[in-house]
Amino acid sequence: MSQGNGTVRYDGERGALFKLAMKTGLLTVVTLGIYRFWAKTRIRKYVWSAASLDGDRFEYTGTGLEKLLGFLIAVVFLAIYLGIVQLLLTFVGLGFSLEPQSQWEVIAQILSIYISFFAIVPFLFFATYRAQRYKLARTRFRGIRFGMDNAAGGYVWRAIVHWILTILTLGILLPRQTFWLGKYMTDRSHYGDARFEQGGRWQDLYGAMKHVFIAIVILVLAAVAGGVLNSGVLAAVLGVVGYIWLIVGFVAYGVQSWAYMTSNMTLDGKVGFIATPATGQVLKRFILGGLIVGLIAAVGFAALAAIFAGTMQMAAYGMGPGIATIVVMAVAYLLLIVALGALSLVFITQPITAYLCERLEVQNVRALDAVHQRAADKGADAEGFADALDMGGAF
Amino acid sequence: MTGAAPVPAQFFDGHSARRHAVLVSPTRDGSGLMIERAERGGTAEIWPLDRLRRLADTAGRGELILTRLAETEDESPRDVARLVLSDPGLIGWVTQNAPGLDRRDTRQGTARRIVTRLALAVAAILVMLFVILPRMSDFMAERLPLETEQRFGRAVVDQMQRFLGARDGQNLTCEAPEGVAALNRMVARLSEGRDLAYPLQVGVLNHRMVNAFAAPGGHVMLVRGLLDQAESPEEVAAVLAHEIGHVEARDSTRLMLRAAGSAGIVSIVLGDVSGGTLVAIAGEYLLQSAYTREAEAGADRFALEMLNAAGVSSQGMADFFLRIGGKSESSIPEYLSSHPSSAARAGRAAENAQARPGSEPVLTEDEWRDLRAICDGFSVAP
Repeated sequence: MSQGNGTVRYDGERGALFKLAMKTGLLTVVTLGIYRFWAKTRIRKYVWSAASLDGDRFEYTGTGLEKLLGFLIAVVFLAIYLGIVQLLLTFVGLGFSLEPQSQWEVIAQILSIYISFFAIVPFLFFATYRAQRYKLARTRFRGIRFGMDNAAGGYVWRAIVHWILTILTLGILLPRQTFWLGKYMTDRSHYGDARFEQGGRWQDLYGAMKHVFIAIVILVLAAVAGGVLNSGVLAAVLGVVGYIWLIVGFVAYGVQSWAYMTSNMTLDGKVGFIATPATGQVLKRFILGGLIVGLIAAVGFAALAAIFAGTMQMAAYGMGPGIATIVVMAVAYLLLIVALGALSLVFITQPITAYLCERLEVQNVRALDAVHQRAADKGADAEGFADALDMGGAF
Repeated sequence: MTGAAPVPAQFFDGHSARRHAVLVSPTRDGSGLMIERAERGGTAEIWPLDRLRRLADTAGRGELILTRLAETEDESPRDVARLVLSDPGLIGWVTQNAPGLDRRDTRQGTARRIVTRLALAVAAILVMLFVILPRMSDFMAERLPLETEQRFGRAVVDQMQRFLGARDGQNLTCEAPEGVAALNRMVARLSEGRDLAYPLQVGVLNHRMVNAFAAPGGHVMLVRGLLDQAESPEEVAAVLAHEIGHVEARDSTRLMLRAAGSAGIVSIVLGDVSGGTLVAIAGEYLLQSAYTREAEAGADRFALEMLNAAGVSSQGMADFFLRIGGKSESSIPEYLSSHPSSAARAGRAAENAQARPGSEPVLTEDEWRDLRAICDGFSVAP
């Protein structure tokens, strides 16, 4: 706490989180998925409260009930919208059905297939903003609410334009997109009566992208080796290296662009943030956790497959698998899925979250004392659109 | 514990983000917590035990974060203030004595709100699935140009051939001239004096499966197994009439459009959680079979009417359903299956046949033999 800096800590425990995730996961299965709103809420309550700034814990105040109600609204809306769009597109698509007669018909047919995806794109962006707003509105620190302006519409068209630009420039303008979309959200976020502000320049994010560019150079070399030098082995080796480098490059971009954006954020012009995560450390936790979860998954599925093969063998001798066997298999399968979800939360998501918290520092934390409460946000759909579209990560 | 010395704790008043050091102790009568601000000139307040609530599912061992039951505009009826206790003795006393520490306190009218919202959602989805989508797809099916539908039908027949195991470019259609003539004769007899919406294109596919299907645009395909299993030409005529019924009602086009519209809805409603996917598949199946059952019943009615008009006995239909149904009928109840139960269909056909004696054979003995031999010498699915 020297020079008024506040440290962020994360003290979530493996055992406690695993127990919570298993319990809520099982309840979700038993209730045919209805409990998932409560499950997500309870996991968030745990994770939020495990994070603390200057010794004070964050709090998540969302409720499963409001998420269910918000989901119901979103579902009706989406079901009607998508049902009609889909039907119209199939009708149009039929006109150019399976045997296209001309080039134009091929293009039209492909378009009609893709339009059904594009029809939900605006909702994906809408849901992204609304979900972020809901999460902030349900986050408190020292009893004071966070919040975000009601401005999802502006986000939708900006996101569409930025994505088009990024795709047209083959990703070269990705930093511009990351920066401006991030800034749009940050500038509309509040802690109590204090406003967040995003500083910095989008050009600075190119530094975070350097490994992506290196990977692209390697992949180009691979193509040259294969096409011009006719060296299959060299092309294959370079191809694999380039591919892995590209994945690492995107992880690095994710981590470092987050660090840049966070470090250039201020609250009311007084409170600053310093994020210094190392990509290698994030990758290490990701790979280690992935190995553990992958190993358990492999063992679990192998055991299930062996049992399944055994029952099939018996079926071959005229002893068909009884209903009981099938039910046991299905239950074992669902248990395994729930356990794997809980394990990846505990071994991958939580360690990375903890690390990112550890590498975050808040400057002039004393200025927070002057922040006052803001009004409650009703949060209409409670990120129902994100839930209906199956978006959103681990929590 | 009552009368014990006050212990230090942290307090957030919910108005500002300032952390307040407080001293907390049970009140003398043990009915609440006395919270005194430690700072100079600080005030004191009492939180009654019965209104104390703790934050649930929190991390941090040895800590108890308290709030109070209060009527607020917030997502839950909770006061904005927070009290963080870390003294084990006081935590123990509170957890033992506060009666509603883990109570959820749902607001009045919550149950009604859930029920209304749920009912509205279910109603909207049902209206969408069973009123709007069917109407729209019927409307569209009727406006699809005949040419488009026929082209699409050919693609479906090709797809079906591949499904039956035809290799690339292999044609499974049987075209023995005498057989084709017999088949055309049967089609002509059935459709005599009728104004059909489509020029019928009837053919036989060489595969041992007992089946027949109608594709969009007037295509009707019989599968050879059906000819092998049929014991009289009237049985084949019954199946043919049934499929012509599907063609006339544009069933395959309509059903396909409906399926396209409803596919996404079911998966959105049920979500994509582990168990949900299975339920989604089951839901989709139930929905499709509800649509299909309706179409099948319609095609049956059409077939009987067509047989009657052509003077062909519907006893063939009854026999066929009884024999084939008896073999493949499983214990699936009618509402789960896409076809009405065979026994019921056979019953209706037999009743219809008894009411109309004096029918004429649909084909002569020779023609029947030719029809059954339509696939002789043609390539068969591997």
